Amino acid sequence: MAVSDAVAALPAKPENRQARTAWGLTAPALALMVSILLVPVIVAGILSFTNYSLGNPGFDWIGTQNYERLFTRSTYEKMFIATFTYVVTVVPISVGLGLGAALLVHSLGRIGDIYKTIYFLPVMATLLAMAIAWEFMLHPTIGMVNRTLAMACGTWFEVIPFFANGCAEGFPLWLGDRDYAIWVVCFIGIWQGFGFNMVLYLAGLTSVHRELYHAAEMDGAKSGWEKFWLVTWPALGPTTVFVVTISCIRAFQVFDTIEAFWPQGGGPNKSAYVMMFAIFEKGVQQNLIGIGSAITMLFLVFVMFLTLIQRWLVERKVHYG
Amino acid sequence: MANLKVTSVTKQFGETPVLKGITLDIADGEFVSLVGPSGCGKSTLLRIIAGLEAPTGGTVAIGDMDVTGMQAADRNLSMVFQSYALYPHLSVAENIAVPLRMREVTGLQRLPVIGGLMPGARGQKQSIATSVARAADRLEIGGLLNRKPGQLSGGQRQRVALGRALVRDPAAFLLDEPLSNLDAKLRVQTRAEIAELHRALNATFIYVTHDQVEAMTMSDRIAVMMGGEILQCAAPEIIYEDPDDIRVAEFIGSPKINILPLERYGSDLSLFGRSLDWHVTQDSPQVMQLGLRPEALHLTQSAPRLRGRVAHFENLGSEVFAQIALEDDAMRVTLRATPAERQMLGLGAEVGLAFDTRSAMAFDADGKRLRKIEAMAGVTSEVA
Ligand SMILES: Nc1ncnc2c1ncn2[C@@H]1O[C@H](COP(=O)(O)OP(=O)(O)O)[C@@H](O)[C@H]1O
Ligand SMILES: [Mg+2]
Repeated sequence: MAVSDAVAALPAKPENRQARTAWGLTAPALALMVSILLVPVIVAGILSFTNYSLGNPGFDWIGTQNYERLFTRSTYEKMFIATFTYVVTVVPISVGLGLGAALLVHSLGRIGDIYKTIYFLPVMATLLAMAIAWEFMLHPTIGMVNRTLAMACGTWFEVIPFFANGCAEGFPLWLGDRDYAIWVVCFIGIWQGFGFNMVLYLAGLTSVHRELYHAAEMDGAKSGWEKFWLVTWPALGPTTVFVVTISCIRAFQVFDTIEAFWPQGGGPNKSAYVMMFAIFEKGVQQNLIGIGSAITMLFLVFVMFLTLIQRWLVERKVHYG
Repeated sequence: MANLKVTSVTKQFGETPVLKGITLDIADGEFVSLVGPSGCGKSTLLRIIAGLEAPTGGTVAIGDMDVTGMQAADRNLSMVFQSYALYPHLSVAENIAVPLRMREVTGLQRLPVIGGLMPGARGQKQSIATSVARAADRLEIGGLLNRKPGQLSGGQRQRVALGRALVRDPAAFLLDEPLSNLDAKLRVQTRAEIAELHRALNATFIYVTHDQVEAMTMSDRIAVMMGGEILQCAAPEIIYEDPDDIRVAEFIGSPKINILPLERYGSDLSLFGRSLDWHVTQDSPQVMQLGLRPEALHLTQSAPRLRGRVAHFENLGSEVFAQIALEDDAMRVTLRATPAERQMLGLGAEVGLAFDTRSAMAFDADGKRLRKIEAMAGVTSEVA
């Protein structure tokens, strides 16, 4: 009797049934998402508190030892310095260059398409192959860069200390020099990344209403600079937040250049020992899954933090809805 | 406030001529409408006056000073755009303040933190706020000052755009179809408000519209544009009652003016083969066109000049418009009748129409007005 009552009562509660169907339909996607995206993160989180190695039958819980190591050992201090140097250098410059290139290309019209393609080439090329080309160019003795620099010897260029030094004692070893290594990596990161930012900014620029520039002119904005601050920059706010976030995440993820240049150790004196490379070295090469997971968790925290800032900015500051 | 003079302005986009020699004289404090169909070059002319577009030839002068080569920002004109063009990231108050900030405040003072420390910044901020409040009060948008344009309705945005134009004291106001994005009711209301604003400010207004009703109701003078030329520029009554060109007559007036073929046999003019008893000289053109406003026609029983059948009618309450099919549906004319005449206008009813010779207009085959012919015809018909 009670069963038939329940069945009879069902149609009276359509919301319940709808909710159940909805959950049923969502379940496969939800299961996939959890097992593909969330489970690995949780597993890595758990492993970061152990000393697990792949192939070992078991592992020991070692508490926060992995994390303590991260914040005390000098190797990891170098890792943080290299990573943050890279992020702090590459993000502003590649975003700034991307914006500048986008503004120039946007003002060109048809010829702009050629520039667009050229600037985008490094984005499309595999960084690994490009890194090999750069390695040749930066070779201390037979590389194009140092040979070109050497041509300045004997001319008035020697007034500049850099050239004076270089001509007397030889130009930098670039990839082999611990003072230059990370900056070379930064340079390649910028060279490779700004075309991507330019394309994003170009998309943003097409959405700026042309009449706004005319309104700005009528309102007394005389120079291109004034119009930029009154119209273009605010209109690009959402794009900028997105571009900066993406650039930050990409910068945190830098790996292939370093792997190509210094497969054994992350640069001279670990000066280019970035996080991704550390994860690779510890977790894959040395099979120290525990410490590798701990770095991964830290990495995730940084990226999550950036994403939250982006969300906050988008919702609070740059949406004029 | 100043007068404005446009002399022989031409404009080409690539090979396409858009303006073909525009000359327009606007007196100080005058309200002039530029009216014409879409694509005739009204916006282009307005943008040339504003300085947003350079003319291919000709000159623009404001207050007797040649400004043809001058930047838009230096011309001291205010413009209201069709899309309103409000800055989406600024609040209503900030939007209205932009023209003052850009003109009266130096670049250094506009900087966020340092600007506040500059000498005179505080007093200036105060005076800008006062001007903004006054403009907002005038347009009754005082309650919206802290909102962003995205949170406003179309009508409110339009007011903010107006506020931004009138917050300072420009030489002239340029308005490019400011009402075309509003609904019909709001359009009528805002129309009256803009006209009132013009009277209160006593400023020079150039108002672009494709809507002849707006032009008729608001302007001191109307310039009818078509195909990159001004066909006629005159007071609304003259444009309506005494057009120079058949295109002006057809564009202004709703319902449209009736155009009938007019033929000359010897010295006699006739309509559909029936003599009108109008006599003209032998050197008049063979084929002409007769323009009759719907209100120039009236129903008659005795000796009608036109005969036809009622094909359609629209009762608007205060007046009735009937379409009469003439000559076996070869041509239709629109007649304005009074509600009292309604029962004579049943669908399919045979009616006779007459018209007053003085309100008829004659045009040649190309559409130019033939005032000489009208004068001759009018004289003879009065004698007859
Ligand atoms: N920047 C431009 N480049 C090329 N053609 C244009 C440009 N601006 C306007 N035109 C053309 O000029 C003509 C007149 O335009 P416009 O002045 O905007 O007309 P209206 O405002 O009367 O509707 C149109 O045929 C339009 O296509
Ligand atoms: Mg237009």
